[in-house]
Amino acid sequence: MRIIILSLFLALATLLQGQMNKIDYVEYDLDNGMHVILHQDKSTPIVAVSVMYHVGSKNENPDKTGFAHFFEHLLFEGSENIGRGEYDGYVEKAGGTLNANTSFDRTFYFEILPSNQLELGLWLESERLLHAKVEIEGVETQREVVKEERRQRVDNQPYGSILEETFKRAYREHPYKWPIIGSMAHLDAAVEDDYKQFYADFYVPNNAVLSIAGDLDIDQAKMWVEKYFGSIPAGTKEIYRPSIVEPALGGEVRDTIYDEIQLPAVIQAYRIPAQGTEDFYALSMLSTLLSQGESSRLQKELVDNQQKAMFVGNFPFNLEDPGVSMAFGICAAGVQPLDLEVEMDKVVDIVKEELISDKEFQKLKNLVEDDFISANSRVAGIAESLANYHMYYGDANLINTEIDKYLAVTKEDIQRVAKQYFTKDNRVVLHYLPKSAE
Amino acid sequence: MKNLYIVLFAILAIAFTNCTSKTTEAVTDTVSDAVKEEMPSIHAWRANVPEPAPARKIQLGSYNTFTLDNGLEVIVVENNKIPKVSYSVSLKNDPIMEGDQAGYVTMMGDLLGRGTTSKSKAEIDETIDFIGATLSTSAGGIFGRSLTKHSDKMLALMSDVLMNPTFPQEEFDKVKSQMLSGLQSEKSDPNSMASNVSSVVNYTTGHPYGEVQTEATVENAQLESCKKYYNDFFKSNNAYLTIVGDISLDDAKMKAEKYFGAWKSGDVPSMSYGMPKSPDATNVSFVNKDGAVQSVINITYPVDLQPGTQEAIAASLTNSILGGGIFLGRLMQNLREDNAFTYGARSRLSADDLVGNFNAFASVRNEVTDSSVVEFIYEMNRMMTEEVSEDDLQLAKNSATGSFARSLESPQTIARFAKNIVKYNLPADYYETYLEKLESVTVADVKACAEKFIRADKANIVIVGNKDEVAEKLVRFDADGKIDYYDAFGNVVVYDDKPMSADITGESIINKYFEALGGKAAMDKVKSISQSMKMDMMGQQATVKQMVKDRSKIAVKVEMQGMVVQDQRFDGEKVLMSGMGNNEVITEGPMINQMKEQTKIWEQVSYMDEGYAMEVKGKDKIDGEDVYKLVVTNPEGNKSTEFYSVDSGLLLKKVSLDETSGKSIMVSFSEYTETDGIMFFGKMTTEGAMPFPMVMESTGVEVNPELSDDLFKVE
Repeated sequence: MRIIILSLFLALATLLQGQMNKIDYVEYDLDNGMHVILHQDKSTPIVAVSVMYHVGSKNENPDKTGFAHFFEHLLFEGSENIGRGEYDGYVEKAGGTLNANTSFDRTFYFEILPSNQLELGLWLESERLLHAKVEIEGVETQREVVKEERRQRVDNQPYGSILEETFKRAYREHPYKWPIIGSMAHLDAAVEDDYKQFYADFYVPNNAVLSIAGDLDIDQAKMWVEKYFGSIPAGTKEIYRPSIVEPALGGEVRDTIYDEIQLPAVIQAYRIPAQGTEDFYALSMLSTLLSQGESSRLQKELVDNQQKAMFVGNFPFNLEDPGVSMAFGICAAGVQPLDLEVEMDKVVDIVKEELISDKEFQKLKNLVEDDFISANSRVAGIAESLANYHMYYGDANLINTEIDKYLAVTKEDIQRVAKQYFTKDNRVVLHYLPKSAE
Repeated sequence: MKNLYIVLFAILAIAFTNCTSKTTEAVTDTVSDAVKEEMPSIHAWRANVPEPAPARKIQLGSYNTFTLDNGLEVIVVENNKIPKVSYSVSLKNDPIMEGDQAGYVTMMGDLLGRGTTSKSKAEIDETIDFIGATLSTSAGGIFGRSLTKHSDKMLALMSDVLMNPTFPQEEFDKVKSQMLSGLQSEKSDPNSMASNVSSVVNYTTGHPYGEVQTEATVENAQLESCKKYYNDFFKSNNAYLTIVGDISLDDAKMKAEKYFGAWKSGDVPSMSYGMPKSPDATNVSFVNKDGAVQSVINITYPVDLQPGTQEAIAASLTNSILGGGIFLGRLMQNLREDNAFTYGARSRLSADDLVGNFNAFASVRNEVTDSSVVEFIYEMNRMMTEEVSEDDLQLAKNSATGSFARSLESPQTIARFAKNIVKYNLPADYYETYLEKLESVTVADVKACAEKFIRADKANIVIVGNKDEVAEKLVRFDADGKIDYYDAFGNVVVYDDKPMSADITGESIINKYFEALGGKAAMDKVKSISQSMKMDMMGQQATVKQMVKDRSKIAVKVEMQGMVVQDQRFDGEKVLMSGMGNNEVITEGPMINQMKEQTKIWEQVSYMDEGYAMEVKGKDKIDGEDVYKLVVTNPEGNKSTEFYSVDSGLLLKKVSLDETSGKSIMVSFSEYTETDGIMFFGKMTTEGAMPFPMVMESTGVEVNPELSDDLFKVE
């Protein structure tokens, strides 16, 4: 009897905490198919206005890679009513900040404004969607800027090419095989019609989620949303979504990359299912077991006990199509990558062979709970999460409930996915070595 | 260092490539004129920019302070948005000079969390991870955060770590070796390199901010120094405790007393430092980074700018106009949007109670390094000489106001404000009235501020990049026309830039090499040769025997554990590759030519023949030894780069492209010893062929041995 009451209390306490952090929101579709999500939080007088377009590098034509990201740059150039170069000015003069980013799966634009400037944010985003305008000089400038971006992030950055080098070996068919930043040759070759077409194909309200969070009045916000976005015509074409199914890797792929680095590194990228699947949650828990916290398996064994790694961890990528879980280890000085790799394998082998203890399993659950509760502390992050959950899963309420999917994972699931996916035949292994010469 | 990789990985894992864009000139030539064409004038109303609604007043959250009997000053900010509480202990003292042990204070910080009188590091980690909490230690204090329901567990551990650390020798050794590995990677990170050199040139080594951790100083660090630092400075009266989150004031008082009330107070050493001298002219400092495709530019110098002053507020607006956080900053507009030299150019003007600094920075491609410096100087001069417009100033103010409001989203901001008020002795309403103070700054204030703090003509210009491609063009920016070179850690490097004397030619280098080997005549007598070597391959011993017969045939045999794993032969016409069950005969292709070259024993004997070209590329250094760099092109047009010791004349390194695999192969030779009057290498290291360097050590050379023809047979 005592035990029952105790567990009742525990359940109540958990329930209470869940409520403390619950994110309330309103969502609806405009007639043109645009999805709108509004979340009110008046604690700070700011508001985040964001639009997520369901287009990323994977929607590109293989002969025109880098367009999604290049477009992200071009769509700050101006519109019918916003002169060239004035876009940032409107936001910064209002005391706001703005930026955008592009992933394999989507492109995301946002402004964070003083809350009395909400209408300005809606106007700016609706202009971008309705009639952006790009001048030739803007194209030329942004082309060079993107090239500098590539040099800074990839070429001149130690280990900066890891993502590119891994994905081009992990995929042979699927568009994840080319880098988000794309081919500079493709960007150089692009002509006016290419831009027009890409804009017309993907920048339509029925391919976008407008997500607003912060100090707002719901009714007023709805009125303005209708005013600025309601009259934008829906796209009429079907939106291209690649249906390419990447075949199994069919054997380990190994390679060596020479980079301007001092300490060698080991990458092991295992092919895994898409985000949102049951196995993906199990693989996330596996990653927590291996990498989160100093007592995690990889860190404790390789950084602390054996001191063979400077840093080591395993991370699954959140991708809409089947992705990879990437283990990344930087060798301690004097350690060879093969040596580190063998030890990384041993750590994973133990997970495959022995079921984890109840205590360690409880630790994983506690870590997941802490992460989940900490996740939604800023309005910009809330706006993005709501848009994400709607766009990928059609369920914005996952912002409150996704934790249940993690907690549904069993110890046996973790062992099973380790056995099933973390196999040699299913991985790409790269050794990063200091560039030998010239 | 570990954090660096976590951040690095976070960036990789997100896989975004972001940024906004914009240009200033208005151009009418339109590429995609309204990409959607059917929009008629029903949208005319859209030309009106929406007016802002009345602004809501920005409310600062409240905080409370109290002091424990042991002198610990406590700041509490209650915020119930998320059921978590954080506790931060931070020391009040200024940094100390670490001298030839630079790095030990950092090590002490890491070591603090690695063992208490009752718990090992593993037990501490296990306890913290089990409740999903964070506990981190540094030289400046300890930070802990957990869900409210786990607070007591977290605090019990935090208080144990703070008061009962044991500083185990074993953990000290680990921390040291991790730091040494970390320093290794700084050698390839251009931003770390720039930051190290900037510290040295801005503050000099006589100021704690000018101390750079190097392999030597970290190697030198002593465990006793770490313990002493802890004993000197970790006192309750030398710290603030900041409590932020889901907690009431009463509860905070109770917990502070329970977990930190027993912390001992005591006398703390005091330090004082002079104000580092700002340069009185321009001074270019350069760090070479081989193979760099971009240059990192830092234009930087120390400034005397005190935090919490009206001057600091004006300075932040001045910097914002030049190149602060906003996109409309002049540096970003000029270098990125007008010139497309960079992905981003910015500046920073930081206030600090010891000494602040100015830094304008960007990463730019090699070809435009000098042009970029010109633009930096131009924009800095413009700030110094011209008044900014009211519009520019208003933009900076609006941007600062917006950023102030956004920062209030985090309850940690209020805690930081409260701490600054105590630390710098600011008026209690300093932050309440911050926006009014900001609004009161005038164009004239900005001009005065720029005159005082922006000085392109008295600055350190620190550049990390590809020396061969960019350094020469930077001489003109240095007031005395001389660039100072540094290594990655700010140590002075002297390059031998004297022009090559005309009598150093490819021929002279090769002839000297022959002499060093024992003379051409002695070499000519060698027709056959057999050299045995041993090598460690993935933990296993391998033996390699390399034979040349009559300068026309070759055989290479590799054995492991008594088994022949590779047998490669060349009979003068055909190549046989066999081993591990494979057997392949090659009759044409680049390999045949490569083999023919090898039959000469010393391929250099052909370099003076027709069809070969040699070019001396100047001097370089290999492991501190001066070398001549010689690029050799063979009749097939393949290039190799060879490095010959200036001193001994011997070949130390050869880099060439292996045509069969397309890989760049680097072979280093060392430990030359004599056999029958001729020098042979004792050690050969090959990098680039396998995922790890292959080191072969010579176990014996036979000159003109009897070799059976069977060894070379190809069939």
